[in-house]
Amino acid sequence: MAQQTSPREERAARAAALREQQRRKERRQRGLVIGVTAAVVVALVAAVAVVLVLTRNERAAEQEALEAPIEGVQTFEDLGRDHVTGTVDYPQTPPVGGDHQAVWWNCGIYTEPVVDENAVHSMEHGAVWITYDPALPQDQVDQLVAAAEPYDYTLVSPYEGMASPVTLSAWGVQLAVEDASDERIAPFLSQYVQGEQTPEPGAACTGGVS
Amino acid sequence: MATRAVVVAGSAATAALLLVLGLVLGLHWGSAQGTPTAGSVDAGFSLDMQAHHRQAVEMSTLVLDRSDDEVLRAVARDIQLTQQQQAGQMYGWLEQWGLGQGRTEPVMGWMAGHEAAPGMSGHDMSGHEVAVTSDGLGSVAEMPGMATPDQMAALEAADGVEAERIFLQLMTTHHVAGVQMAQVAAAEADDAQVRHLASAMATGQQAELTVLGDLLDERGGPVAGV
Repeated sequence: MAQQTSPREERAARAAALREQQRRKERRQRGLVIGVTAAVVVALVAAVAVVLVLTRNERAAEQEALEAPIEGVQTFEDLGRDHVTGTVDYPQTPPVGGDHQAVWWNCGIYTEPVVDENAVHSMEHGAVWITYDPALPQDQVDQLVAAAEPYDYTLVSPYEGMASPVTLSAWGVQLAVEDASDERIAPFLSQYVQGEQTPEPGAACTGGVS
Repeated sequence: MATRAVVVAGSAATAALLLVLGLVLGLHWGSAQGTPTAGSVDAGFSLDMQAHHRQAVEMSTLVLDRSDDEVLRAVARDIQLTQQQQAGQMYGWLEQWGLGQGRTEPVMGWMAGHEAAPGMSGHDMSGHEVAVTSDGLGSVAEMPGMATPDQMAALEAADGVEAERIFLQLMTTHHVAGVQMAQVAAAEADDAQVRHLASAMATGQQAELTVLGDLLDERGGPVAGV
């Protein structure tokens, strides 16, 4: 036989059910607020972390490109540093260092060959000497000039008898390339114009002869 | 209960905002206090002003070999020795920052978007725009105020008073642009040493402009066609 509930008990049960419903609703809301807040925090922290990491990577990549060893660069040691008045028989073509004239060749763009013994002195002062075969097409010569122009420690000149159409030389280092669009030219300049190989850092590439 | 939840959520949001603000400030502070990078005003100025100075040294050296005038020779020697030494300071900073003298950024790129304080040079620079070449890394020879190869050749070929006049007119143009560059670095560089030297260059070259102008007037003004 079913138990009869009094109207009073019924009201109390309904009230309890309502209170329970209210508690559940509040718990849901609180959960939602905390959840959303946590998500916002995580998103913001992640965004900042991503920016930090990307910035660092970008810098690292820039630095790496600048400092990465360049394929094909030859190095030479035990180069003479004496001043001479006559000509010098250099073992490389063009020379990469050695005894030289007392006066350096002024940095700049030349359409006629320059004097080895003076250009070697410019390299001792930190210049990069870009030499090209006289038969190199003019558009390639223009490319070499454009590569040299961001610097005032560069020499560009034609040179007879090289093994390759274009050669880049600095004191004790040399890179032979087949044409002026070679991607190693810019990093070579960036690394060796007044680079660490320079025997006399701070010395001038103007005020000499030309 | 609902009030407590709002308080908790509000505190969490505030904490998150403070955390982000702290990170952003820390990042900014870090870059402002750390070593200048290749793309900074500090590095760009140090490379470009070095090359700018070297041409001033070259012009001074040329006129010293071509003039007997003691007053003019003193001014030329002053510019030659000062700018050679200042170029060395900028060279040293780049080495100290681990950047060396190589380029990854366009010549004068650091000046883009920055204008020098107007009315400081006392010379008309209207129409003179600082051009940043989009073609590769640009050219140091095309920096503002640089004497052209023809102008350098004219100075080299001249002698006596004519060489003095050419030197004075070329150095005036050179200084006017130099002051503008230095003013931008004095205002925009992160490194206090860079700002200090740039500021001294701006005021020093500004003062020299008066001297150069007076000496040029005494000699009959600029040589036509140079």
